[in-house]
Amino acid sequence: MLRWSGWFVGGVALAVMPWLVGAAFPAQQRYILHILVFTGLFAALALSYDLVVGHVGSLSLAHPAFFGIGAYAAALLATRAGWPFLAGLTAALVCAGLAALLIGVPAFRLAEHSFAIGTLGFALVTHVVVTNWVEFTRGPLCVTGIPRPVIGVGALSLRITTVPHYYWLALTALALVALLYRGLTTFRLGRAFNAVRDDEALAATAGINPLKYRMLSFVIGAALAGGIGALYAHYITVLCPEELTIALTVNLLVILFLGGVGSLRGVVLGAVLFTALPEILRVAPTWRLVIYGLLLLLMVIKWPEGLDAALRRAGRRPRA
Amino acid sequence: MEDLLEQTIHGLTLGSMYAMVATGLALMFGVVRLVNFAHGEFFMLGAYTFWFAFQELDLPYPVAGLVAAAAMAAFGGVYQRTIIRAILERSWHVQLIATLATSIVLTNLAVIVFGTQAKEVPTRLSATVFQAGGLRIAWQRLLVLGASVVIFAALHWFVKRTKIGKAMRAMSQNREACAVVGVDVQRVALVTFALGGLLAGGAAALVTPLFNIFPDMGALLTLKAFAAVIVGGFGYVHGAIAASFIIGVSESLAAGYISYAYKDAIAFVIMIAVLLWRPQGLFGRRIGI
Repeated sequence: MLRWSGWFVGGVALAVMPWLVGAAFPAQQRYILHILVFTGLFAALALSYDLVVGHVGSLSLAHPAFFGIGAYAAALLATRAGWPFLAGLTAALVCAGLAALLIGVPAFRLAEHSFAIGTLGFALVTHVVVTNWVEFTRGPLCVTGIPRPVIGVGALSLRITTVPHYYWLALTALALVALLYRGLTTFRLGRAFNAVRDDEALAATAGINPLKYRMLSFVIGAALAGGIGALYAHYITVLCPEELTIALTVNLLVILFLGGVGSLRGVVLGAVLFTALPEILRVAPTWRLVIYGLLLLLMVIKWPEGLDAALRRAGRRPRA
Repeated sequence: MEDLLEQTIHGLTLGSMYAMVATGLALMFGVVRLVNFAHGEFFMLGAYTFWFAFQELDLPYPVAGLVAAAAMAAFGGVYQRTIIRAILERSWHVQLIATLATSIVLTNLAVIVFGTQAKEVPTRLSATVFQAGGLRIAWQRLLVLGASVVIFAALHWFVKRTKIGKAMRAMSQNREACAVVGVDVQRVALVTFALGGLLAGGAAALVTPLFNIFPDMGALLTLKAFAAVIVGGFGYVHGAIAASFIIGVSESLAAGYISYAYKDAIAFVIMIAVLLWRPQGLFGRRIGI
């Protein structure tokens, strides 16, 4: 009972956040909401990544590529072909999922470290192509003038123009991804994923085809990343190749492993903390990233199993 | 024909650099089972140390090179004593995050200390050219090739013949058994990291006159060296060296004959192709069920 009321209060607080922020920090409402939009999109992206890394145990380093493929698909279709938002979003999901299917077939022949390098290679190749294929992607000139999303048609259409609107869109996306994540990782499918992660040979003898489940989570994770990429492109309206560098992989790895790999709460906690932390550190602009790195180092040594597990332990101790 | 030879020699120079960095990475992995994702930053710091010793302190080239190599060996030792010691017995993802965090710290410290503007360190050897027929090669490249042969021969002798080298090989086979028979595990780890630093610093001193240096040059280098280590067969030093030269030469030929912009992409596509052909790496043994 208490649990459900907690969820309800939390949900309402998140939904009315724009007004709360507006009342508490009127001067910085836009900036704070902007950070919250990023946090929501990042949390959703990290959840889609955790489907692959945390649940089937394949250390893929290709996630920024899928995010970027989705973002570029949506951006180019909207600016060049004038596709509406939802059609572009669907195309982004499909393109990223298809890319994952194509790259997954050869990549899953590789085990562990080789798989990491194979997927990393794909991510680097994608970045190089996006940067240099100027006629198609405009390369370092960036895709500009990506329109704000419009959902629906005619009189019923909903225009997402202001930052609070976008906040609600990001929150909805995060909620959908979180629900999907829960659904995929809880029931029979989730147990099959975890069986493949924990002992591949044993899973295979129990009739669970490891390749099939790895591929399934890889493609779903990639398609979601592509969709989030589309939302991201429509939010920032200017899309550059720098969005899909290896720095994004580093961020995602930090969120997963310091938040709590394989746990919804841990990943969301990680996303909130590691999107907010670099912003808070702007008080010391020069030393910002040095301090950030040192904090990461301290945290990973102090709480090697992730913040979520550390919090759980700290919460249990007084009662025990 | 001269053009092909020239591009190949450029590729071999590049390969020497990758090989020296990848060897350190492979030694660290072999001896303490840890992938040091801050290894490219060892090279970056070595390059800046060399720049400081050569350009700012005005030391002669060989002395400045030795200063850079020695400074990085010391840095490798300090790194092992502080960070590696704390994470050595932890799981692989703690090691991944900790070494990535170190690379973030080092890169951004370099931005603060040296600025983001690329620095050039030309030497007399990089400015003069060896000519034979139509062939034109900077003397510095020939120095890199000669020096890397000497360095790898010395390394081979060190690992095969000296007592500490034998301890390193023993530890790569079984760390617990080494501790049982009285090998000082921490000291061997210290020597391994100092050696990794020495190689990275030496490589930096050799190739810095040919390329620009900038604070975030380490990241891509780590990835390429890591790719070389995997393709060579994890933990096999000679495999990592061979794979480094494959990457270097394919990158250089791709830049010369196909497209300069796509050279890194082509090098990585070749890596992936090699992995698909031999998933266990060029020299690794297949461990089957």
